[in-house]
Amino acid sequence: MYMVLVRTRVLPGDLLHDSYTGIAPPNTYKLGNKLFSLKVGLVEIDGKDVKLIPLAGPYIPRVNDFVIGKIIDFDAFSWDVDINSIYTAHLPAQDVFGREFSSQTHSLTSQFKVGDMLAAKIIAFDRTKDPVLTVREHGLGKIVHGEPIKLSPSKIPRLIGKKGSMAKIIETKTKTKLIIGQNGIIVVQGPSEGIVLAARAIHLIEEKAHMPSLTNMINELLTKEV
Amino acid sequence: MSIKKSPIIENLRKMQMIELLSKERRLDGRSLTDFRPINIKVGVIQKSNGSAEVSVGNTKAVAGVKIETGTPFPDTPDQGLLVVNAEFLPFSSALIEPGPPDEDAIEVSRVVDRGIRESQMIDLKSLVIEPGKLVYCVFVDISILNMDGNIFDAAFLAAVSALLTTTFDKKIAKEDGSFEVQKCRLPTRCIPISITSITIGDAILVDPTEEEESVQDSRLTLTFNDQGFLCAGQKGGSTGISKEQLFKIVEISKAKAEELRSLVKKVIENA
Repeated sequence: MYMVLVRTRVLPGDLLHDSYTGIAPPNTYKLGNKLFSLKVGLVEIDGKDVKLIPLAGPYIPRVNDFVIGKIIDFDAFSWDVDINSIYTAHLPAQDVFGREFSSQTHSLTSQFKVGDMLAAKIIAFDRTKDPVLTVREHGLGKIVHGEPIKLSPSKIPRLIGKKGSMAKIIETKTKTKLIIGQNGIIVVQGPSEGIVLAARAIHLIEEKAHMPSLTNMINELLTKEV
Repeated sequence: MSIKKSPIIENLRKMQMIELLSKERRLDGRSLTDFRPINIKVGVIQKSNGSAEVSVGNTKAVAGVKIETGTPFPDTPDQGLLVVNAEFLPFSSALIEPGPPDEDAIEVSRVVDRGIRESQMIDLKSLVIEPGKLVYCVFVDISILNMDGNIFDAAFLAAVSALLTTTFDKKIAKEDGSFEVQKCRLPTRCIPISITSITIGDAILVDPTEEEESVQDSRLTLTFNDQGFLCAGQKGGSTGISKEQLFKIVEISKAKAEELRSLVKKVIENA
């Protein structure tokens, strides 16, 4: 039996279900048959399925996530990339230079310098290994212009909206392009007036992500300003 | 306690900053000579003689004053002592490692000390109990609670506000050789204010954030007294400042110091 109502706020350790069968869903854990919350979040119940939407927390990498990172260091064979997480990601030099990469003939700084930003995908991550990135796909690689903005990783789904509706509203109203990383880093590209406006919209999402009428609020803000 | 690593600012953000500077604007929307919101709270530490907590934007500093008796230095037997110490707390920034104060923290304490000393804010000669033997020592301890650029001005405002509200038990010698204890204010003459500016190319930015400091060419901290006289200064950063730029910085800083002084006065009057 569910011990909470739909859309109630829960804290870590709150009892969600007293006799849950099956594997514990993400952000929850099981003790015996009891299901508990692991995060601060909102509960969504759909028939037998329970979903916990976290309201806060760091970015936990997952394989195949699209992320935006910042080069913070490099050695002879790889770059260290800050992906706004508790883990530092690695981008192997072979991924950029190909299999014929040699630390003697190739210079890593010719491709990425410390402070450069890049769009990448996580190709490997588990408990034994820090996240490994790749840039060998369409749309990945160095980001050469735009302004980086941070948003809580748990609020990224709200920024994207249903089928990308929210991101589309911001893009069309401010005449900018948003590159949204799952790790909570967004690069806004376009005219500087548009960037300022888009940044304000993103900060509004940060503040009011839990409210149901968010799309209308963003629409209002952008229509008023344009 | 501090060993500071320098932050890695995204190259994109640097480019954006420099592009905006050409339009006389800054990343946080301020004009080049605007300070971030300043908040001063006095009397925050119960057991000190005087204390103040100051926030300049996200930068936060707390200062405490303790007055004790001690022996004066041999070369100044007729003066009390002023000792200023500053520390960066490890939780003030992700880039701070615990350890003894490094050169950045020592620079902060030296600049604050010099500003207070050279403006002659404290009447040190009135802090003598017995010349050459017993004087009052004024210890000013500054802790940086949060770092987001312009630590100098936050630390200086905290130290000055704390000193202005300092009270202590003064020993007054009686004719029969015994002492009478009387609670009184620390004798101060003026309110010195320090203003820090940085240059990036031709642009002069007052009250820089940590991001702006990481791209600075040079930094200049100037301290003014009540009459608007320049009484102390400290130059930092790797490049020089041209004569024209220097005069411009002095002019801007002087006006800004006046603004900040009226703010401090208001806080002290209401305290």
